[in-house]
Order: sequence, then structure tokens, then C-alpha cells
Amino acid sequence: MEADKLAELVKPDKVHKSVYTDPSIFDMEMERIFGQAWVYVGHASQIPNPGDYWTTLIGREPVIMVRDRGGEIRVLYNRCPHKGAKLVADGCGHVGPLFRCPYHAWTFTLDGHIRGVPFRQGYNDTAFSLEDPQFSMRPVARVAERRGFVFCSLAEAGPTLEEYLGGALASIDNFADRAPEGEVEVAGGVMRVMQRSNWKIFFENLNDTGHPQATHESSFAAARRTVREKLDGNTPFQLHIIEGNGEPNSFWESLELRCYDYGHSYMDAIFNAPTDAISLEYRAQLEAAYGKERAYDILSMNRHNTIVYPSCSPHTGFQQLRVIRPISIDRTLVEIFTFRLKGTSEAFFQRTISYTNIVNSPSSTVMVDDVEVYQRCQEGMASDGGEWISQHRMAGHDTPFEGGILGAGISEVPMRNQFRAWARYMGETEA
Amino acid sequence: MSGDPILHHAVAQYLYHEAELLDARRWEEWDSLFTDDGMYWVPLQHGQSDPLNHASIFYEDAIMRDVRRRRLDQDRAWSQQPITRAARIVGNVQIQEQTDTGLKVRSTFQMTEWRKGREQRQLAGHYTHDLVGAAPGEWRIALKRVDLINCDGIQDCYEIFL
Repeated sequence: MEADKLAELVKPDKVHKSVYTDPSIFDMEMERIFGQAWVYVGHASQIPNPGDYWTTLIGREPVIMVRDRGGEIRVLYNRCPHKGAKLVADGCGHVGPLFRCPYHAWTFTLDGHIRGVPFRQGYNDTAFSLEDPQFSMRPVARVAERRGFVFCSLAEAGPTLEEYLGGALASIDNFADRAPEGEVEVAGGVMRVMQRSNWKIFFENLNDTGHPQATHESSFAAARRTVREKLDGNTPFQLHIIEGNGEPNSFWESLELRCYDYGHSYMDAIFNAPTDAISLEYRAQLEAAYGKERAYDILSMNRHNTIVYPSCSPHTGFQQLRVIRPISIDRTLVEIFTFRLKGTSEAFFQRTISYTNIVNSPSSTVMVDDVEVYQRCQEGMASDGGEWISQHRMAGHDTPFEGGILGAGISEVPMRNQFRAWARYMGETEA
Repeated sequence: MSGDPILHHAVAQYLYHEAELLDARRWEEWDSLFTDDGMYWVPLQHGQSDPLNHASIFYEDAIMRDVRRRRLDQDRAWSQQPITRAARIVGNVQIQEQTDTGLKVRSTFQMTEWRKGREQRQLAGHYTHDLVGAAPGEWRIALKRVDLINCDGIQDCYEIFL
């Protein structure tokens, strides 16, 4: 598709439905967005020892994140240069000192360099060479790590990870700063949920303050009835999480939405710091580690979902990271990781797990209604009932600041900001 | 232990009755089968031993089950328009442990779920029921554990109790 035609699909206050429904646009997104952007790969704590690996998808590219013999993290295409077989099975595991292809036993060191091939004499007087990089596993173009969070870019050139993250960088740092030891680790399992909708619909929802009251009525109304009829009006921690979606208009209007270049944004937290015994113990641990003032600053950066476009969304307050993998125009895999803050109590982590179960499990009474409306959007967008998807809420009323845009609580500016980045990615390569 | 045919029959009938309550969406009656501190648990990890330090697909006490059952009957539960229908088959019922105060029962289940406009879904796995009570009429569920064969796979959403 020509660049000028693509540009026609994104207006300042609306986008054309085809960006969600046209498979050829999805193909272009895989090349132009996922082939360029810094995309989240995994966390260093998933591969503590040399030979440990974790596989994932960068756009359509299956990759292996592996720790090499020197302790460095490498991200390599999961492809044997011989016949193309994927070298390791999907998931996590340990390969030992070498990768060994299951097909013809070619071996590679943990940094991807070819080590040996059987029937070596058969390659005499051929173009094959152990020194030729085309016979080694290919590394991705660029890998960068921030506080253990590993990102990669398939493009040789472009901004550094820090430049790219902009104001979202502080969410990554704050995620780790919240640990008394300053480090986090993946713990407690990974959840995987398939959404029958386009990946962008999920991103748009993450900072959409206009949806909770309508979409989540069934769960917050049910929770309120439970509190009234079974708990004498006392709301326990786990139901606070569900009831938060039922806050009135004035609450959502009072929030702030901050957007940055490359599609990132965050919204203010919707839960205040709890004051129960577990939380107070945690605050004391943080103060012991950092001093009162710094601990206060760390906890004051209270962000709800941060959007790190186009691959993940950290929730710093409850140690969740949702990783978004587009599978096709109408299928999106969301992987949910829970993190342990190093230096906190078991009770603190158990509460984190409780949040994971309630909000991000495939059985979540909150998420089911989100996933339902995403699918209804996907099906409705495909119809001839209209051409455009509205993003008019507070359009023209956002305030630019150095490096970003500030929107009022109910603004659809995060969506407009995502499409500003989308248009830039999609147009750039064409030029 | 499982050699007592009368006891085995009573246990099987109990599980069939429980499955029938779920098939019929009689949530409140089903929930009343549990002890006050009874838990409903669907592990995320195959062979998971710890529900507190590891995430689960469901890990619900009386409060969370109460919210779920009320939500399923809300007019604006968008993902229950129309509602989920389900049919469960329970078999291979085995009494694994028997004490003066209760039983541990393992069974195998197949469950088919359907919502109009959505693909039919086939679920399978094992139930483990910790039943407390000295005699069949007194049994209450202290723990219902549901081990799905695909617990650690890619999931569609779950709405109703399994």
C-alpha cells in the first residue's frame, strides 16, 4: 500500500476500520512496526544460568533469549541455518553448553556461533565455512536491557531503548525500585489468554477511562452485592480491586493521562496505597532500604497501566506485566507475568498472586467482559455499517509538553497518541 | 477402601448431583455444598502444589465464588449474552483416602461448553474432592480441585465454574 493511502487511514480524531480488519495491513505492521520498534522479549530472571533460554515472538519472528557462557543475554532467531528447523521447543528450558539441532545435530555455542557439523568431510571443497556467519544462528539486530527487562529491535538503526521509552522509562525503573533490594524476578507462573480481536484494540483499552463503568458493571455490581449481603458492608482487599471500576464520572475525570512519543502512555493509579499490615510492613522495608524520603518518592509514582507500545504493559503497583503478541489480524495472545519484589515478605507476594488471579487470570470476572467487547468490536468493525472508528473524546483539548502530550482523565488521547506512532512507523519505511 | 460398593455408589451419586447443579446453573445450591472455608481451585501449573505462591486459573473462597455466581446472573454480564451452556460427564470415580472425618475422591471429567455465536469448547481433566463429614448425608466440600489437561496452555476465558 502506498504511503499516502496509509496516511489517509489515520485522522487526528478517527481511524479507518481497515487498520483492524485488513490482513494486508497486519502484514505491513509486522514489518514496519514490529520490525523496527523495541519489543519486549523477557526478563533476565527467567534465564539465571548459562544455557537457560526463553522463547517468544517478535512480530512473526520466533526468537530465543539465552544466557551465554559469559553471562551475557543474547537474542537469536530460533532457526537452524541448515534446514531451518527451530532449534529449541517453545517455552523455557536449558540447552546445556551448546545448542544442538534435533534434525542433523549441527551445534552452536550459546552466542549462536556454529561449533560443528557431522560428516564434516562432506563439506570439503564447498562454499560451507564455519567462519561464514550465514552458517551460524542469526542474532537480532539490537538487544538492550533495563533493570532486567530485555527488549530487542530487529532494525540496525534507530533510537536507543532509553530514547525510545521516553517517559515510560520511569515506569520500568519504578517497577524495580519498588523492591527493597532494587531488583525484581519473574515468579508464580505465566498465564496465556487468546483474544479474538486485533492487538491494537487491547492497547487502546489499557488507558481507556471511559470504559470501566460500562464494560465492568457486571463484576463491580456483583461485588457490591456480595459486600452488602454477605460482608456487612466491609470490602476486603480482593473486592476493592473489582469495585474500583465502578467509580463515578468525577473520579475518572480527575485522573491524568500522559502520552509520549512512539505510542507510550500511562494513566494515574486508581487504587490508593493500602494501609493494612502487609502494606505497612512493606513500606517499612522500603524505608529501611532507601530512607524515608526516597521510599516516599518511589511509592508516590503511582501509575496504573503503562503502555509500552507495541509490546507490553507494566502495572507497577501490583507487579504485573502483560505482554502482547499479535498472532493475526483478529487474534492476539496476551501473556501475563507476575514479579516478586526482592526483599519483600511471602505475604506480600501472595497478595500479588491474588491480584494476578483476580484481574489477569483467564477466569477473571473483570477481564471476561473486556475480551467480550473486544471481540464484538472486531466483528462489528468488519461490517458495512460504518467506515470510521471514533477517537473524538477531548480531541483538540490536549496539552503538549516537552516530549509528550497531557490529556485530561477522560481523554482518548492515548489512542490518538498510539496512532500518531502507528502512522509514523507505517509511513517511514515506505518513504 | 473403594471396595465398599455402597460407599462408592454414594460418592458417585454425590459427584453426579454436583455436576448436575453446575449444568443447570444452580450456582447458589452448588455453592452451599462447600464448607464455610471451602475452596474451589483450578491450578495453572500441572501438578501444582501451592495455590498461594503461584498463580491459578481459579482459586476462590466463599467470597470470590459469591461474586462470580452473582456476576453470571447480572443483566449486564456482556459475556453471558447469551449464557454459557455446559454438559459434564464424571467417571472413573475412585476413593483415594478414607478417614473417620471424610474422603478424598478423584474422578475424571469431560465438559462441553457452548455459547451461541461462539465455538463449542471441549474441556477435560480430573476432579479431586476433599469431602468432610462422617456419612454421605453430611458431606461438604472442603476443596474441589480441577486439574485441566491443558492448564498451562493458551486459554480462552473461563466464566462458569468447571
